[in-house]
Parts: sequence; C-alpha cells; structure tokens
Amino acid sequence: MTLTLTTLGTPALLPLEDGEQYRFTFDMNSCVGCHSCEVACAEQNGTPVDEAWRRVGELESGSFPQTRRFNLSMACNHCLEPTCLSGCPTKAYEKLGNGIVVHHPDECVGCQYCMWNCPYEVPVFDTAKRIVSKCDMCRPRIDAGQSPACVQACPTYAIGLEAVDVAGWREDHAAGDGPGLPPVGITMSTTRMVLPPGDLSGMTAADDHRVEPEDPHWPLVALTLLTQLSLGTVATTVVLQLAGAASRSVMGGAAVGAFAAGAVALGASLLHLGRPGRALKALRNVRTSWLSREVALFSAFSGLSLAYAALLSPLLGVLAVVAGVAGVYASGRLYLVPARPVWNSWRTPVAFFATAAATGPLLAYFMLDRSVVAEGWLVALVVAAALGTLAQVAVLVHLAVVVRRGTDRQHQGTAHLLLDRFGGRFQGRLALSAVALLLLMGALLEPLSSAAAGGRLGAAVVVVAAGELLGRWLFYVTVVPFRVAGSFFRTRS
Amino acid sequence: MTTYLPDDTYGVMREEVRPDEWVRTTCGYCSVGCGMLLGVKGGKAVAVMGDPAHPVNQGRLCPKGLSEHQTIDVDGRLTTPTLNGAPVSWDAAIGSMVVGFRRLLHEHGPDSVAVLSTGQLVTEEFYALGKLARLGLGLRHYDGNTTLCMASAVAGYKRSFGSDGPPGAYSDLDVADCILLVGANIADNHPLLAPRVIGNTASTVIVVDPRVTKTAMMADLHLAVKARTDIVLLNGMIKILIDEGLVDQAYVEAHTSGFEELAAHVAGYSLERVAAECGVDASLIRSAALAFGRAGSATAAWTMGVNHSVQGTETVTLLNTLCLITGNVGKAGASPFSITGQCNAMGTREAGATASMPGYRAWDSAADREELARLWDWPVERLPVARGRAYPDIIDGVYDGTIKGLWIIATNPPVSFPNRGRLERALAQLDLLVVQDGFETPTTALAHVVLPAAIWGEKDGTYTNAERRVSRVRAAVAPPGLAKSDFDIFLAVGEALGVREALYPGWKGPEDAFSEWGRVSAGRLCDYSGMTWDMLDAEGGVQWPCVPGTTGSPRLYEDGVFQTPDGRARLWCVSPEPIADAVSGRFPFLLNTGRTVEHWHTRTKTGRVGVLEHLAPEGWVELNPADARRLGVAAGDRVRLVSRRGIVEGVPVRVTATIREGEVFMPFHYDELCVNRLTIDEFDPISREPNYKQSAVHIEPMTTP
Repeated sequence: MTLTLTTLGTPALLPLEDGEQYRFTFDMNSCVGCHSCEVACAEQNGTPVDEAWRRVGELESGSFPQTRRFNLSMACNHCLEPTCLSGCPTKAYEKLGNGIVVHHPDECVGCQYCMWNCPYEVPVFDTAKRIVSKCDMCRPRIDAGQSPACVQACPTYAIGLEAVDVAGWREDHAAGDGPGLPPVGITMSTTRMVLPPGDLSGMTAADDHRVEPEDPHWPLVALTLLTQLSLGTVATTVVLQLAGAASRSVMGGAAVGAFAAGAVALGASLLHLGRPGRALKALRNVRTSWLSREVALFSAFSGLSLAYAALLSPLLGVLAVVAGVAGVYASGRLYLVPARPVWNSWRTPVAFFATAAATGPLLAYFMLDRSVVAEGWLVALVVAAALGTLAQVAVLVHLAVVVRRGTDRQHQGTAHLLLDRFGGRFQGRLALSAVALLLLMGALLEPLSSAAAGGRLGAAVVVVAAGELLGRWLFYVTVVPFRVAGSFFRTRS
Repeated sequence: MTTYLPDDTYGVMREEVRPDEWVRTTCGYCSVGCGMLLGVKGGKAVAVMGDPAHPVNQGRLCPKGLSEHQTIDVDGRLTTPTLNGAPVSWDAAIGSMVVGFRRLLHEHGPDSVAVLSTGQLVTEEFYALGKLARLGLGLRHYDGNTTLCMASAVAGYKRSFGSDGPPGAYSDLDVADCILLVGANIADNHPLLAPRVIGNTASTVIVVDPRVTKTAMMADLHLAVKARTDIVLLNGMIKILIDEGLVDQAYVEAHTSGFEELAAHVAGYSLERVAAECGVDASLIRSAALAFGRAGSATAAWTMGVNHSVQGTETVTLLNTLCLITGNVGKAGASPFSITGQCNAMGTREAGATASMPGYRAWDSAADREELARLWDWPVERLPVARGRAYPDIIDGVYDGTIKGLWIIATNPPVSFPNRGRLERALAQLDLLVVQDGFETPTTALAHVVLPAAIWGEKDGTYTNAERRVSRVRAAVAPPGLAKSDFDIFLAVGEALGVREALYPGWKGPEDAFSEWGRVSAGRLCDYSGMTWDMLDAEGGVQWPCVPGTTGSPRLYEDGVFQTPDGRARLWCVSPEPIADAVSGRFPFLLNTGRTVEHWHTRTKTGRVGVLEHLAPEGWVELNPADARRLGVAAGDRVRLVSRRGIVEGVPVRVTATIREGEVFMPFHYDELCVNRLTIDEFDPISREPNYKQSAVHIEPMTTP
C-alpha cells in the first residue's frame, strides 16, 4: 500500500461560480501524521492548546505485520446543514455565501448547545472567554485570496481547499464518508475524503479506549428537574381546581410552590451560560432552535404560573399548564440531536414528563390543605406519582437493553459508563424507584390525610427526589457523542 | 476580537504576532536543515515560517519547526551563571571552573577532566571548542552526544570509504528508482524528507523496520524484521544480488576491494534461513533485493534503527556494501545515506575535535597532526595522539573515579544516556561538574557551575545538514539576562586560561572562526574553503566540498575514488551477534526505543512548547494486542516496566498491532517516564554508540491511581 502525494495540491483560490462553496479536502493516502496542520492552525488563529480547531486522529486495522494505519486531520466541515447554526439560540452562527460557517463571538452566550449538535465536535469552549470558538477556514486569509494555514502548512499536500457544487453534493455526498468519521448525512459535511484503497472497515481509533464521562451540567440538572416538578405541581393544582376537588382557598400554597420551583429553575439555568449577562439573546432563534423555544416557553410558563399563583384563575392555570407542557416538550426535544444517539430517542421526552408526574403530585400533596381535599383525589395524586415512577423505571430498563445491545461506539460507550463504570449508581437509581413505589403503596394503606400516610409520603418525596437527581446526573454523564477519531492522548472533549 | 492584518511575507496573520522583521535562518532541531524565517516583533520572536526559497524544504516545516519561536522566551531559561546554586558573575563562574579544572589536571593528571558536548552548537562554536578543549585545556577526553546518535554512521563510512562524509543528497530521494529505508522512521523523525519519498511515485520504496511505523505506510514493501536481524537480512539481500547477477561487476572491479571474501561470506545466508531468522516472508525479501538490484539508481538510507546497535558500525558497512556492489554510489539517485539526527551533528564531525581532528584528520596520523599544528601555529606535541575516551568511556571514567572534572555542554545525559541509575551514581561523584546550557535540565540540577547559554534564535553561525549543506543561522533576538552565546563563553574561557589570542587570533565573532575553519579545511574532503558567510547568504545553503570559485558539490565519490589508502572502497564481511540482554522467563519482552514527531531529544525545548506538549504529554509503551490480553491490560492502563537495570512505573499502555508480539516500544524523550532507566549500557566496540534498541523487560499491570 503505497502512500502517494495527492494530486489535490495547494489550490489557487479561484473565485466561486454560482452555486459553489469552498470546502476542505483530505487525502488519507498522503497524510503522514506530522501534525503540522494543527500547529499551523494554532499559530494562525491563536487558539489555546486544548481548544484546537484542527486535530489529527490515528486509525489502525489488521494484525501485525499486515497492519494498516492512517491519520485523519479534520477541522470544521462547513456543512450544508450545519446543526451548530440551526441549533444556536442566539444566531451566533452564519453560513457565508462562500460556504464558510462562521461563529460571531459577540453574539455567543456560551450555552454550548452547538457542541452537542455538531457530530464532529468542532465547536470548542474557550474557558477564558466563556464562549465557544471554531474553525472559520481562515476566513481572513480566504478573503485575501490565500489558502488556510493548515493547507499552507501540510508538507505532503494532504489537506486541500476546493470549490464544491452545492446541489451536486446534496445529490451525492458519498465522498464525504470515511473511517473514523460520523456519517456525512447528519449535517451534510462538505469535506471531501480521498481514501486509501482496500477494505477500511474495522478501523479502530487511537482514542477508542477513552470513553470519558461528560460534564454533569449541574445547572441543567436543576433546570430540567425543577421545571418538570413545577409543571407537575401546577398541572395537579389546575386539575384539582377544575374538577372542583378543592376550593380556591386551599390551592394557593401549591401554586406558589410550583412558581417558585420554576423560577429557581430559570435562575439555575443562567449558571449554565458562559455569558449569563447576554441570556436574553437566547430568545432570538425561535424559528429553528429548540433551545430558544425552551427558553421562550419556560419564560411564558413562569410568568403564567406567577399570575396563576397570584390570582388562581383557572384560565391562567390552563394557560400555564399548556405553556409548561410545551416547555417540557421543547426541553426534551432539544436533546434529540443526531450527534448524541443515546439521547436522540423518545425516551428523553418521556422521561422528562415522567419526572413531572413522579414529583408534581407529591409536592402538591404537601402544599395543599389536605384536610379539605377528598380522599379519592389524594389517592389519585399518589397513583399518578407511582405511575410516573413506573414510567421512569421502564425508560431506564429500555435504555439499559438498547445500549447493551448497541454495536456502535456511542451505545457501547454509554453501556460502559452507565452499566459498568457507574453501574452501582444505575442500580441505585432503580432501587430508589422501587423503594419509592413501596412507600407510595404503603401510604395507600392508611387514610391519606392521616399522619402515618403523610410520614410515608414524606419519605417517598425524599426517595423520589434522590432518584430523580441521580437519574438526571446519569443522563448527562453517560451520553457518548459521535466524534472524529482522535489521537492516543487526546480526544475532543 | 482578533485583528488580522496582511504581511507581505507570510500572508494574513494576527496583528499581535505580525513581525517587524523576518530573519532568515535554519531550523535548530534535526539535521534535515530546513530553511526558515523567524519573525521578530518588539525584540521577541513571535512567528516562524518555512523559507520558500530554501532548497531543502521549499517553505514547509514540521510541527517542531512551526512552533520553534516558542522555545525562546519560556520558563526555565538559564539567565545567570551560578556556583553551587547561587548566582555569580561570569568572571566568578568561569574563574572557578578554570581554577577547578586546572587543579584537577595538576593533581590527578591529564586524564582527570573531560568534555561532553553536543550536536546543537553552530560549526563556528564547535571549531572554537575543539581548540579550547584540546589545546587550551589540553584535554585528552572530549566527545559529544553525537556518539549517542550517528557515531556508527561515521565509523561505518570510515571503514567502507576511508572517511566520514555522507556521499549523497536529498535530491537522490526525488529521483531514485528504489529507496531502501532501514531503521528510519522519517515520517516521525525527519518529516520534511517524507514528501520527497512520497513524491517520487516512480520509485519502489522498501522500509525495513520492526514496527509498522508511519513510514512503513509509505512503503511498497515493508519488511517487518524481528529486532536486530538487519545484518542477516542485508547479507541475504547481497546473496540474492550475487546469485541473480545483479552485481555491477565493472564498478566492483574498478572501485572496491574484498568482493570474493564477501561472496564467500554471504553464501551461507540462504533465503530460507534469512526469512526464518528475520520473521519475514521469503518472497518479500526476494522482491526487495530484486527491486534494489534492478533499479537504475537506488538509495539506501538509515537512521537510529541501524546506528543504535552494538553492531551499528558493521551494519552501516553492509548498507555501504549493498550500494557499492550495485554501483549505487556517486551518481544521482544513488547513495548510502545516513540521515543524521541533530541540526549540526555534521558540523562537529567536520570542524570539531572529538573522534577526529578538524577536517577529518586522524589523531593517530603524524602527518595530519603536523599539518594541523602548522595551520594553527601551535607546537605539534600539544596535540593529542589519540582521540581519547568516547562518551561511554568518559562515563566509565567518571564512574570509576578516574575522571573527576566534567564540562557538559548542551546535552542532558540523565535522560539520554542508557542505564540512568549507573550514570547518576557516576555524576554524583564528580569533584567539579560544569554544565553549559540554555535551559534548566536534570543535568543542570546536578551541576556545581552552571553557565547560561544563548540558544537558537539568539546567536550567529552555520549548521551543516545531513546532505552536507551549510546554511546560515542568525541571531534574531537577544539572549535572556546574562546568558551569552557558546562562542562568547568559549572565548571567555580562553581568556581566563590566558590563551585567547593564541587560540583565537584576532577573532571578534563567529565569522572569524568560519574563515579560519575554511582555511583549515582546505584540501580536505570536507572542504569549506570556498565558502563565506556572504556566499551562504546569497546561495541559501552550499554543499561541501566547496573550493574557491565553485558553489559546492551535490555528491561525493563521483569518480569512484575513495579516501582509503588504495582509493578503493572496502567491502566488509559481517556476521550477526546475539542480543546481549536477551529475553528470558523473567524478562520476556524485548524493549525497543525511539522518537515521536512532537518531541525533540529530551524535551528540553519541546516540553516547553504548549502545542507540542499537549499532543504528547507523557511517555507510553506500545504493546501488541495479544501481549496486552496476556498481561490483562487494556489501552490507557498503567504498567510498571522492569529491566535488569531499573524500573519505570506508571507508563500508559498503547495497544497496537503496529508492533510484533513479544516486542514493546517506548519513546525516549521523557525524563518522567525515562526509558533509559531500563536500557542496557552496552556499546558498539568500534563507534562506541549505545545499543538502545534491545533490552529485555518485564511488564506488570498497576492499579489505576
């Protein structure tokens, strides 16, 4: 297998024809793994060492001495369907006429949602500036008719820059696929791969062993759990009110509790942002970003909950519930990103609504004046909470089966993290659900307005809360995203 | 918001690193000798770029070169002379060094002080240091870390051709019909040679390497030989060439001696035997031999896989022989090519005074001594009559107490010398250890006197690359604090010894040394007499020999006349010897060592360059998947390696099918996970080069910390 100097060479930057954009090319035959492109990129763009825009991975297959090894130098693919852009709540991304996907730092709030959306892990979080940054194809050089630094630096001409006919690439983009890369179709990556001859299946990456837990995102744990708790509580309150199960006079506590939970959630979510002062920008992209929609809907929910808690008008309550349901749906929906296959499942929104069901009725139970609510309605609250917890168990069991059976790195990686590395916590999560169910059933043995039942339900609240907290932590920590094959010492996270 | 501005030389670049001035210079890492421009802004080195006009690299650089400006203004630079750890003046430091060395020489005789230098200085400094060590201090023992690197190539060239001096040029790689790379992982270690090999699409590329290296992926034929079976392989290939009638009889008869003995010697290397001993398919070996033999022009190039062996010198002679019997010497595309290591190892070989006197003059030749004494205007009896101890023998002398004073210049033995435990015990016994370096290193930590030196980018002179090309190196920025160039340090030591004018008559700066060296080299194989700094500026690098009125020579021995007494190249018969530190039940793995593209030597520089350090922050050990399974370790686990000499703990495992079962590999750059705690201190009896590449080790898993 002879490596050959690619015919791509360093391109003359010809002006684009109509319907064309610039794209990178990468010739896996020619790359000798010298990393010059990475250093040149860092020098050109002044990126910190752990926030590289271009990275070289290493691939290997076969057994000695018929071993094959290749290198994979990748930066941004300047996709036709850039999910960094479509997901960005602040419209910080722009796809230029020449195809470059640029990130405008002044518009970025540092929510890092683009990092979840990009299957190539291209956007990186700049810990100093508290916003993301990414490859702009050396736009200032392109504008001056010069090649990007990586293209300029490659000693073997393995990296090139060329024009691509956009419509043609939409029709046939098979040349964008390659070993160590996510499927090109997710975002319509434009980078053209020139691959070595022969069978390239079964190539392993030098960083395959490195399946690391993701950040738990504590502010998001708080945001999601508390919004769901809030929705569950408001919904319970509104249902009781509409059913005439309780008079307005006994609803106030529950409504206030619901609003408080939602308000704390929104406050906590600000801590997730690198630039919380710019948080309002996150409302800009309601048209395509589920994150913008989540922010908008939860803001509406919070306002309506406040109004409802103050006035206890059933109409406001219904509106609050509608906004809350939509918000929790948007909240779940934003995790359905193809770049994170284990999240990208019906399980995510179902689990979010299950949390609302498991927690809301219990909070309502304690915030209501129980002496004036009919026993039957109290039973309904407990049953609803039990069903919510049961649904969570079903989701978890399904997740465990799916990831255990998975054949790709993303599912196998989650199986490793969820069932092996954090297996004790996963079992703890299930055990807490079981205990919660027992306590809920036990409470039903007594009159629900009694102190004994209250005691058991109080214990159930603690157990449910612990289970939900643990479950949500596992949700964030054990997801394994698509990524580009990395080197032995370095992955993209 | 980053501001980008146009620069006429570089193109659009960040405003904060857009230089006021680009200084033309030569890379200070490896011997490929890439031309580069060093950007200076406000007195700081802020950028580099490959010199588009330089014939070696045509504007391209490797990752080390591309970040070389980051080696200069870093933590850990030495900025003041110290005496027993306390800052002192230059006069006090050099005074105590001179007094100390003189006292030792007076009390314990001329064998009691030695110098260990480097391949990192400019040629002008090597030339000045040679005079200082041999004449000024009158030392018998002076060697450099080049002995850890290319001494076997030097000795092998001398045995075959009668002289050191790589005969070929990089352009041979562009045009050769066959390129044989033996123990040379150029993709990692000489990256700017890789495009030449890849770009020569018409050539058959043969890589002989026990690992599936990045370079092996460039090969048409990869011969993944078992460790240290290269001699068997080369004998086998020579036999095939003879049997198949692929020997250039006319060349052999006109220009070589010893062919009959060679033919008889290799008769026993049947293809079956060779294939079995090398662990390589017979058909692959035959194809390789035929490709080399049938090529119109063939180049055999090698690096440390050959040199780092107790039989390194002999293996080099075999590679020379392979080229000689096929007539592949002295013509385009054809040469036995030692790809050297350090930026200026060649400069010290030619102008220094270690293994030979300046100009490849032999210490044991009365005529050479007399000629040099005349040129230097010194009494001939002041010149030593033997080279003295080579590097490992200097260390032995330190270990047994014979050598009590040592001056180490720009090298870092605790990381780079084999059997670190014994070396550290030796160095701790010294009465006086003077270390001259640009950086704090494990070596300066042991020193009584530290002399802070200027480094690449801070001083002027020339480097000579592996193809004998002499290129200018320029000061772009001032050295930090009190640090000064090695050249000025040597002049100051000469001054303190009272011999400055006698050694360095009328010298003001390194250009004066270059002029004198040109005169001293006149008429020698490595003739610099036609070169001036101005000419180097104009030509952008000139290959010696260069007599006045010419612009250098791309290759040696075009006339087939060699430097041996009879003018014929000598064909040597070589037999393989068993590995000394062989594997056993207790030490079942054979440890190989080498380099990675991100780092240079002992990481004194590259460990301080964030972008490189981030790419390869610590050492590792490569294990075949079957061995990993047997040991119960997975990729990323940490293991302990134990040899008969030492232990290294906490080495991350890289499981890879690029290495043979039973063999393991560790990079040698790391002080923290120092492979030289494990390596055997066994040396080539001719070149004195260490056998870094085969040491038996035991490996055991460690619980994750």
